[in-house]
Formats: sequence, C-alpha cells, structure tokens
Amino acid sequence: MYEEKPNFKETKEEALRRVRVALLNILEDTDEARKEAVNERNKTMAIVENLTDGILLLNSRSEIEIISPPIIDFFRKDKEAVVGKNIIELLNGEEFKTLKEALIDDKNKKIKIVYRQEASVGKRLDLEVSTVFLKEEMKEKGILIIFHDVTRDKLVERMKSEFVSISAHQLRTPLSAIKWTLRMVLDGDTGKLNAEQKDLLEKTYTSNERMIGLINDLLDVSRIEEGRFLYKQEMGQLEDVIKAVVESSQELLKMKKISLIVDIPKEKTPKVNIDKEKIGLAVQNLLENAAKYTPEGGSVHISLEKLETEVVFKIKDTGVGIPDSQQERIFTKFFRGDNVIRIETEGSGLGLYITRNIIDAHRGKIWFESKEGKGATFYFSLPFPKH
Amino acid sequence: MNKKLLSMGYDVVAAADGESGLTMIKESRPDVVLLDLILPGINGFEVLERAKKDPETANIPVIILSNLGQSEDIEKGLKLGAKDFLVKAHFTPQEIINKLKAILD
Repeated sequence: MYEEKPNFKETKEEALRRVRVALLNILEDTDEARKEAVNERNKTMAIVENLTDGILLLNSRSEIEIISPPIIDFFRKDKEAVVGKNIIELLNGEEFKTLKEALIDDKNKKIKIVYRQEASVGKRLDLEVSTVFLKEEMKEKGILIIFHDVTRDKLVERMKSEFVSISAHQLRTPLSAIKWTLRMVLDGDTGKLNAEQKDLLEKTYTSNERMIGLINDLLDVSRIEEGRFLYKQEMGQLEDVIKAVVESSQELLKMKKISLIVDIPKEKTPKVNIDKEKIGLAVQNLLENAAKYTPEGGSVHISLEKLETEVVFKIKDTGVGIPDSQQERIFTKFFRGDNVIRIETEGSGLGLYITRNIIDAHRGKIWFESKEGKGATFYFSLPFPKH
Repeated sequence: MNKKLLSMGYDVVAAADGESGLTMIKESRPDVVLLDLILPGINGFEVLERAKKDPETANIPVIILSNLGQSEDIEKGLKLGAKDFLVKAHFTPQEIINKLKAILD
C-alpha cells in the first residue's frame, strides 16, 4: 500500500495537470472559435451594410432581425422602428398593399414562397421581391426577404413603349390621309380618270400601302425585341385560324391565278394554347410568301397533321424556291433572297423574322425545305398540352 | 370621309374635340358614332366611357377609327363598349362605310 501512495499522489497531480492543460486548450479553442464567429459576423454585416438591394432577415417568429440600408429608403422608416418588429407591422398601410399580398398568406399568417415577383409601393417604387427560407438540419431558422428596385427599369420600359406607340400613330396619320384621298380619286369620286392618270396613281397607292405595312412590321419587331410580343394566349383550334387567313387571302390568290388546296384532317386536331392574332399573322405571312414567290398558274398546298405531342402545319408551293447559299439567312431581319428581289422589289424582309419569333414565343418550331427553282415547303409545329 | 358619307346620302354632323363631340351625341342622337382617339382636350376613350355611362346615349353604337392600334388599345376600346376598332391606315373609306352599314342594319 505504501508503494501505491506515491503513485496515487503522482497520478492525482499528473491527472490534475493533464485536466488543467486540457481545460486551457478547450478555452483556447473556444476563444478561437468565438473570434472566428465574430470575424464572420463582421464580414457578413459589412456585406449587408453595403448591399444595394433591400434585405430583411426574419427569425422564426417573423420578427425582423437584420436589415440592409435600402430598407430605410423603401419603407421610409428608421432602423429602430423596424428591427425587432413583426414584418406584418412593417407592411401596414395602403402603400404596401400589393407588397403585402405578394409576400404574406393572410389566412395562415405565413410568409409565401416568392421568386422575383413584382409589387409596387404606392406610386413611387416598383420592387422585385424574393423570399429565401433558411433551414438548418430541417428546422426553419429564418427567412430572408430580398427587395430589388426595378423602378427605373419599368419607367424606361414604359417610356419606350409609349414612344413606339405614338411614333406609329404619327407616321400612320399622314399615310392614312394619303390612302383615303388617293382611293377616292381612283374610285372615280372626283371625276373620271384617263388610263395614264389611273396607272400613276395606282403606283402611288401601292407604295403608300407598302409604307403602312412597314410600320406594322417595325412595330412588331420593336415588341419582339422588348420581349413583349405575345399579347394574350388562349386555347384555340388551328383549323379556325387557317380558315380565316385563307378566306382573307382569296383576292391575292385569284389575282395570280394560284390554286390553293387545303388538307384538313377529318378529326379535329387538339386545341393549342395560342395568341390567335399572332398565329394568324404567321400563317398569313407564310401564305403570302407562297403566293408572292410562285409564278402565275402555280399552286399552294396547305396541310395540318397531328403528331404525338404537337400539331404540324405544312405549306408547299411551286414557286421559285430558296437557293442553297441563302437558306441560312432566311429567318433573319431584313433578309430577302436575291432571286426574289428581282421578281418583286417590294417586301420589307421582316415577314419571316416576325413569323419565326411568333412560333418561338409559342414554344413551337419552324423549318423549311427548298431547292432553287423547285418551290419551297415551310413547316411549323405547336405543342399541345397533355391531358 | 365626310364628303364620301354625304355623297352616299348619309346625314353627317362632326365635332372637332371630345367635349363638343359628347354634347353633339347627346343632342343629335346619331344612329352611329365614328370616334377618333387622339383628340384635343379629353381623349376618345373618355368620350366613349362617358357616352356609355349616360343612359340616354349608352345604346348608340360607336366605331373607333384611329391610327393607334396596339393590342392594349383595341382591347380597351372594345371593353369600354365600342362595337368595332378600325385602324384608319388599314381601311379605305368604302370599307369603313361597309362596316357602318353592317352595324346600321
């Protein structure tokens, strides 16, 4: 036993020493960890303080813990008035009505999942809002709400749109006056015309019509570039659109003595989600091209086919065709094939560009087959929703 | 346009701005109104709205004739109660009169 005592004493001291060292290490590690946490927090706060977007960090009780400086401007409230408060209190008032609707599910008193939704604050701000739900190991730790200021972007968009609309109007006004007065003279309302007078005035009338058509095309191009091209989409029957376009094109076809065959399947094709006006424009453009570039006495064949997930429109003509060297550029802006410019000097070169954009916007595909001198066949497909 | 209408035997009254147009509609109760949109003073949409709100003039058919032609404008006009929206630059006077005839019958 006496031998054990010194060992026990030694072991006890050693043990204590060891424990002391261990504790000191733990303290040191804890201090390191604490310093690092403070550093990280400082870094984060430095980022938050310099963000140009408005950011709100909510805790799990929907109370505001952290804000970035733009919040003060957006909501016109001081930091003290915001931090610690419940978000619903912040969004009180007529000004914030749309914002509140976008963010908060009033019935369940919960924050919605939002991605880049637009909401306005009174008449002074247009914001794009997103929410991010922060989770740590399946538990909700908080919610991040991001407000991106798009006021200026929206203003520029509105100004540009207004400018285009008014320009079109200003250009159309004198052109419609010319159209009407020329028409009246040509129709004999002001007296009889001799053959030469009639001929010259018809040419003027045609040129004027071309300018009117060009304005429409340019308006369309402008909207395409703004990304605001399709106006309204509804479920509709392609057959109806084709029928309407064919009816309105009878004059053109008759004039050139072109025979038109329309092959519509007995069973109606599935309805497709379309902007009827724009798809009508696309079909009209393709039919007009077929007629324009087919010599007198030729023929045009339209058919419609239902495939597994899409409806395919096909239009085949016996016209001049598209030379290989020019096929690549057929859908580009202002492009007109050399062989057709010789036949007909009119044409803006925007028709197929616009048509392709219409089909693209509908998530469809457009393509063609052609050999110079042997006509052209154009196709477009539109997907139909699965039931 | 007036000339053509007169020559076809129609009675025509014309106003040069929105307010006097409204007064004219109320006083002379035309069978159809041809309405431009860009007008001095109040614009065509306002004239249309007010004419439709007034029970005395609400049933008079209105055709909008304008060189504005954006889809939003057309939808707005039809929603406010216009029977048709014709872009001036796209129709000849005879075509417009044909549309008028169709409405009058």
